[in-house]
Amino acid sequence: MSIKVNKISYGINNFSILKDISLEIRGGEILSVLGPNGSGKSTLMKVLAGDINPNSGSVVINGTNLNDIEISSLAMVRSMMSQAQNIVYDFDVREIVEMGWIESSVDQPNGHFENILTLISNECGIDHLLKRKYNSLSGGEQRMVHFARTLLQSNGLKENLQKYIFFDEPTANLDIKRELNILNLIRKKAKEGYGIFIVLHDLNLAYNFSDRIVLIKDGKISKMGDPNDVFDDEILSEIYEVPVYFDKDIGRIRYY
Amino acid sequence: MKYVNPYQIFIIYSSLFILLIVLGLALSFGSYKVTFIDYLYSDMSKIQESVFTKIRFPRVLLSAFVGASLATSGACLQGLFRNPLADPGLIGVSAGAALGATSFIVLGSSFMQGSITNPYLLPISSIFGSAFVISALFFITKGFGKEGITYLLLAGIAVNAFAGVGIGILTYISTDSELRGLTFWTMGSFGGATISMIAPALFFILISFIWIFRESRKLDILQLGESEAYRLGIDIKKLRFSVIVSSAIIVGISVSLSGMIGFVGLVVPHLSRILGGVNHGFLLPSSALIGAILMVLADLLARTMIKPAELPVGLITSAIGSPFFLWLIFRIRKL
Repeated sequence: MSIKVNKISYGINNFSILKDISLEIRGGEILSVLGPNGSGKSTLMKVLAGDINPNSGSVVINGTNLNDIEISSLAMVRSMMSQAQNIVYDFDVREIVEMGWIESSVDQPNGHFENILTLISNECGIDHLLKRKYNSLSGGEQRMVHFARTLLQSNGLKENLQKYIFFDEPTANLDIKRELNILNLIRKKAKEGYGIFIVLHDLNLAYNFSDRIVLIKDGKISKMGDPNDVFDDEILSEIYEVPVYFDKDIGRIRYY
Repeated sequence: MKYVNPYQIFIIYSSLFILLIVLGLALSFGSYKVTFIDYLYSDMSKIQESVFTKIRFPRVLLSAFVGASLATSGACLQGLFRNPLADPGLIGVSAGAALGATSFIVLGSSFMQGSITNPYLLPISSIFGSAFVISALFFITKGFGKEGITYLLLAGIAVNAFAGVGIGILTYISTDSELRGLTFWTMGSFGGATISMIAPALFFILISFIWIFRESRKLDILQLGESEAYRLGIDIKKLRFSVIVSSAIIVGISVSLSGMIGFVGLVVPHLSRILGGVNHGFLLPSSALIGAILMVLADLLARTMIKPAELPVGLITSAIGSPFFLWLIFRIRKL
């Protein structure tokens, strides 16, 4: 039970964005994607989400090809947090979070949903915002709301199935308290058995919160594996095209 | 989990109650003196009875349905396009329906004798017209993001102009008898409605209401954006198809029966949102009810203000709607 990405290539108008990418997302571990701007991280995320079809190669989730899984079943297997969207109408925060709850034909015990909603909003620190209007929140608060919605979706059905959560730069523009909060919750999810796939920008965060790291440049995988193997001065400097020094003792990157 | 809260249910029932009162009022006033009470206690003359059941009742019923239709389609289109300014009139959907109806009146009669009086063919050609416009607009404005709000209206201006040209050409090439049919139709009021003429139309409107009300939760989730909705398990293509087809049916039928009546689809959904909330489980039914209330009242005004003559009902809805439209633009600019 895992997500297997087999030799994916994707391009538009003869310009190739992803070249022959293969990787595996396993339950219980955090796999982070790192790479400079324009390296193809977000495109890879879109292929995994099923937004775009690769020109060649396949994505196989728990043994079934992504294209053969019904949209509604897919939503029960993987949830995903992408960059925040603009919402036109004045929804309450609570309504936005509730949208993550996937309807089921199976009867839930009374109050089950309420309990989960309360738990998640407490964890994400948005319990005091639930009655506010979404559009009146700050950017960071809105992001926490979508994070909570993503967690709620992952709490949906099919308990017996291996589930996955994808995050596209979940901590961008967040203060350090919220940043740590999100990453700790993601790590908790991994401990519960979820397979986590996450696009990150911050090298230090990636090193300290990932089980495995993929380095991507120009649509190709440069290096993949344990953070300690991947974080090598020479490799990082080559990928980011600036001198990068990695201090293994404290697990910190320096580049200025 | 419930998607409509108790307060919203209260608003819906109150609207239903007010609608019943308004219907009673509308049935009781008019150029000819006969009231709802008379009808119930049946102490009325033959003429009174005939005015009530054959003229006034179908007219009031039709105005209620058209009001509900325009308001509901407005709410659906505002949801589908994620654009608070989407109104079947403003973005050209009604004009598309009108062009469909006009083409049928002018071109259809060459193929089939007496087809103008067929209660199905005229609405069906309107439906095709509006469906075509909604689909075209959808693809024209796709991917514009936040700026799409203005692009949709600009596209609507073009569509309205284009439909105007089409209608103009058709009017020009029409024969005398076709022109008579056309003029009769473009006058666009609720007058002249008969039960046998509107019954099949109202049936299809009801079916479309039920169809689209069932999609209300999906319309809510769509507000997160199309790709987000897809990730939450919603088949966007199916939803888009449902909304486009059902909106086209209700707008097409309404336009084919009563001509183009502006601004109801714009004003009513916003009124509903202010009253009770933005979730479609509430928004769609409450818009239908409030739209019906307003339209029945507008028609009542239209036929009693200068009786025994009457005003076009579109004049009254536009008089209320256009200042509201300006206010809305002002408000959106501040967002």
